[in-house]
Amino acid sequence: MAVTELSSLKRSKRKEIALAYFFLAPALAVFALFLFYPMLKSVYLSMTLTDPRGRVAEFVWFDNYKDLFLSEAFFHSLKITLYFVLLTVPTTILWSLLLAALTHNKLRGMKVFQFIFSLPIIISVGTGSIIWLLLFHPTAGMLNYFLSKIGVSAIPWLTDPSWALLSVSLMTVWMNMGFVYIVLLSGLQGIPDDIYESAKIDGAGPVRSFLQIVLPLLTPTLFFVLIVSIIGAFQAFGQINILTKGGPMNATNVVVFTIYQDAFINFRFGIGSAEALILFAIILALTVLQFAVLERKVHYQ
Amino acid sequence: MRKRMTKRMLAAAMLGVILVLSAACGGSDGKSGGSSAGPQKVVFWHAMGGANTKVVDQMVSDFNASQDKVKVEAIFQGTYDDLLSKLKASMGSKDGPSLVQMYEIGSRFMIDSKTVTPMQTFIDADKYDLSQLEPNITGYYTLNGKLYSMPFNTSNPILYYNKDLFKAAGLDPAKPPKTFEEFQQAADAITKSGKATGANFAIYGWFMEQFFANQGAEYVNNGNGRTSPATESIVNSEAGVKTLTWWKDMVAAKSMNNLGRKTDDSKKAFLAGQVGMILDSTAALRGLVTDAQGKFEVGTGFLPRPSDGKEGGVIVGGASLWMMNDKSEAEQKAAWEFIKFLTSPKEQAYWHINTGYFPITKKAYDEQSVKDNLQKFPQFQTAVDQLHQTKPNTATQGAVMGVFPEARQIVEGAIEETLNGKKSPKEALDAAAKEITAKIQTYNKTVK
Repeated sequence: MAVTELSSLKRSKRKEIALAYFFLAPALAVFALFLFYPMLKSVYLSMTLTDPRGRVAEFVWFDNYKDLFLSEAFFHSLKITLYFVLLTVPTTILWSLLLAALTHNKLRGMKVFQFIFSLPIIISVGTGSIIWLLLFHPTAGMLNYFLSKIGVSAIPWLTDPSWALLSVSLMTVWMNMGFVYIVLLSGLQGIPDDIYESAKIDGAGPVRSFLQIVLPLLTPTLFFVLIVSIIGAFQAFGQINILTKGGPMNATNVVVFTIYQDAFINFRFGIGSAEALILFAIILALTVLQFAVLERKVHYQ
Repeated sequence: MRKRMTKRMLAAAMLGVILVLSAACGGSDGKSGGSSAGPQKVVFWHAMGGANTKVVDQMVSDFNASQDKVKVEAIFQGTYDDLLSKLKASMGSKDGPSLVQMYEIGSRFMIDSKTVTPMQTFIDADKYDLSQLEPNITGYYTLNGKLYSMPFNTSNPILYYNKDLFKAAGLDPAKPPKTFEEFQQAADAITKSGKATGANFAIYGWFMEQFFANQGAEYVNNGNGRTSPATESIVNSEAGVKTLTWWKDMVAAKSMNNLGRKTDDSKKAFLAGQVGMILDSTAALRGLVTDAQGKFEVGTGFLPRPSDGKEGGVIVGGASLWMMNDKSEAEQKAAWEFIKFLTSPKEQAYWHINTGYFPITKKAYDEQSVKDNLQKFPQFQTAVDQLHQTKPNTATQGAVMGVFPEARQIVEGAIEETLNGKKSPKEALDAAAKEITAKIQTYNKTVK
């Protein structure tokens, strides 16, 4: 009796698992085709040298990795990437948080500001970069024109290595602002009004209630935004390709641009794949670290 | 069982979708059989953007109308770099072109890729008279006595100067500076006049290569990579250090400014009267003269060289046409017919007038339209003279190396480091030479 019951239970469980895989199949197929297979292929490619046509010419085991760890240029681009992350992520989040806090009220006309601040989300990286390319233009740019009106001499936005990364970051902050702003604003709107009211009744001022009540309740949203922004910043490419092409003097040569250059301009897929895998490891480690350290500070209710 | 079936069906359906997608991505497949009825199709990839696309299209449709055996389809593929990447990606598939335009620095790669039929094969088979072409231009694409590709669009850099600014600075507007020293004096004078900055050079590796040739200096070893494949970069030789020191000194003295890598930005500043002198390709002449009309008068001069420098000349920049060898003989022959059409004096005259590139055929200069054009743009004579005064040798034929596009980026990086005062000219070029040499050696390892 018991045995047949158990086996029928087993059978139904197996059925359930099969059903689950059936429903997962389309997603798995797409993942296998566009993620797992390319990933495995790049592990293989990262151990090869490719000829100028990009065909595998020699299997070299870990030579590419060895070259990378000995290469000053690669560490330089890692450093630039790190600077870029530090310049863009905190700024974007703080700036968007400020705007979201200021526009989260029921004053008349607030919708207009909310619309304006979320606008950058609908502009593609390509279009945004072209707009800023015109603004930054060394001789015909609008930014320098306005600076000259107030008596400030022209700034070599993209042509001076000490300015280029700042300029690209400025543009990136603007570009990412739309998304972060919308997420944070909706986070703010998710906080029930009665909490504000009871805080007010208890005599808390706007600053104090923001810091001690709103901010803790916003931590899940902030945590999400932080992780997504950091990953996004590590993978920044479009604006750099259009604005500076990694220059001048490699001052904006972030890792993804180096990968692009090595793999798709110079057709050295070996070294390009090795760089991509190192970047993958870094992002993975950072994300795990954030979950381990920061998630403890997140209040989900 | 039924589930298995559905799963398999699903998989089949997905495969089907993928197949359709990849077929759609493949686009028009050039028929390579071509023995069937109808004209032989020839696919021609090129990188002539902007107004020049229309000129290419016009020549192609003229060719197609002139006979009924061959039909050429010209496809614009973006910049030279994009074109090279797309070509690399297409190699080994059936989606590649029959005929492709490639910039001069992609030449070594094209030969090493073993995917091309040397132009010499058709020249010999057809007894085509090569002497009708400019020897200085064919020189670039000739290796070991073989013409590998047919020159198509060629240009070289000349000095453009603002005659009005010259006058205002007390300089003779009829006498452009010829040497590094004269150039520096002129640039100083213009800056001192307070009307504009003396000069600007875009940070463009091509200019560096030209300055080398103009001093009769080679850019890589082994006869500029022409007697045997190059193994070392010699960009840190005396010619390089001298040029970069001169350039850097002028930037430091503010008689020149730094507007980055784009020649377009340099041109804009020149047209706005913000700088007195720039370097640019002869192909920019028409646009510059036309756009400056009513603002100032544009003068042209030779590329300067140090007064104690060796005699040299300019390298013909631009691009040439390569025949891909994975197409049928009939298709290659058809493409050769198109090439012959393009190099005829009449077509070269049309090409030259509308784009500003040199005619590669000597007889084109006899065409009335070319003479009229020279009258309208007398500045162009400078470019023609500069080309004709160039002495053909391995320095002026230009360097050949497989990693040229990368080498150019590296040299541009070195120029930036110098102009920004991070390194001395010698240090920057030493580092660049070392890096390029390493790349050349890796490259040589992968082609054999």
